[in-house]
Amino acid sequence: MHELSIVDALIEQVGREVHRAGHTGKVRGIELSIGRLSGVNCDSLHFAFELLAPGTLVEGAEIVIHQVKAACRCHACNARVEIDDLVFHCPKCAGDDIIIEGGRDLILQNIEVDDAERVESGE
Amino acid sequence: MKILAAKKILKVNDQLAADNRAKLDAAGVFGVNVVGSPGSGKTTLLEALFAELHAGLKPAVIEGDIAGLIDAQRIEALGVPVVQINTEGACHLDAAMVASAMGELDLSAVDVLFIENVGNLVCTAGFDLGERLRIVVLSTPEGDDKAVKYPAIFQGSHALFITKTDLTPHLNFNAQRITADMKCLAPNAPVFQVSALKGQGIPEAAKWLAEKVGGR
Repeated sequence: MHELSIVDALIEQVGREVHRAGHTGKVRGIELSIGRLSGVNCDSLHFAFELLAPGTLVEGAEIVIHQVKAACRCHACNARVEIDDLVFHCPKCAGDDIIIEGGRDLILQNIEVDDAERVESGE
Repeated sequence: MKILAAKKILKVNDQLAADNRAKLDAAGVFGVNVVGSPGSGKTTLLEALFAELHAGLKPAVIEGDIAGLIDAQRIEALGVPVVQINTEGACHLDAAMVASAMGELDLSAVDVLFIENVGNLVCTAGFDLGERLRIVVLSTPEGDDKAVKYPAIFQGSHALFITKTDLTPHLNFNAQRITADMKCLAPNAPVFQVSALKGQGIPEAAKWLAEKVGGR
């Protein structure tokens, strides 16, 4: 949902990270972790990137997305089951005394940049 | 070479929402984000709650709609300070819009700020406005399966208000079903069944709200 504004913020954040690391060169790749329960559609994210990347430091960069599962923890049967979608009952015992953990975050994991261009940090 | 970040993608709205929350806290104002479908009864619920708010709690309202002044005019008629935001197409309020509207209110004269969001069960889930409490409003004609269909907004709310309960005899609405679903999504969130027009359930809801505001 609203993947355009997420990618807009991401591109700015990549710029800050690259600058902080003292690089001026091209970004070749960006690795993201997207939680399965984050409400973000990965196809839409790729599409948003195609729209917003041209003319920025991330133009042409490869976007790699790892989709992170959530987990359903059941207090009745003690099971911990990985899930791709929200559940309302334990997948093992169908009980409703459950907690859903994780799977909601959007994380910028790392940025791949060209080796050649680096300036002295501290500027 | 790889630059390791391992950081949450910063959503600009989150920063602005935190600023709003800090500003409201500093002014001693308790923010409430009111979400729900168009026509769920958000404005009517506010009108009924204002009549019951005890302990001299002074409310103010920020109204969010795509167009028109209709809801703001209703609130104004009750003598409650109100600012209308017209998003002109945006399907949800965001923290920047709320910050701007907050600037038009005298927060020193307010105890609780209700932000009535644009009618929408989808996008409103993703935008923190700087509130302390989010309440989701669901009317009986909308059906009792909405928590399963739109989980994010229910999960992110601190209370569910089922409105238009006076229509239940004419509908297939099962309050137990949505209450059970809500318990899975937001275990600590109370469920209030109200008819704002008839007054049913309103005193209890107003009491709960006053306790929340007072216990901040």
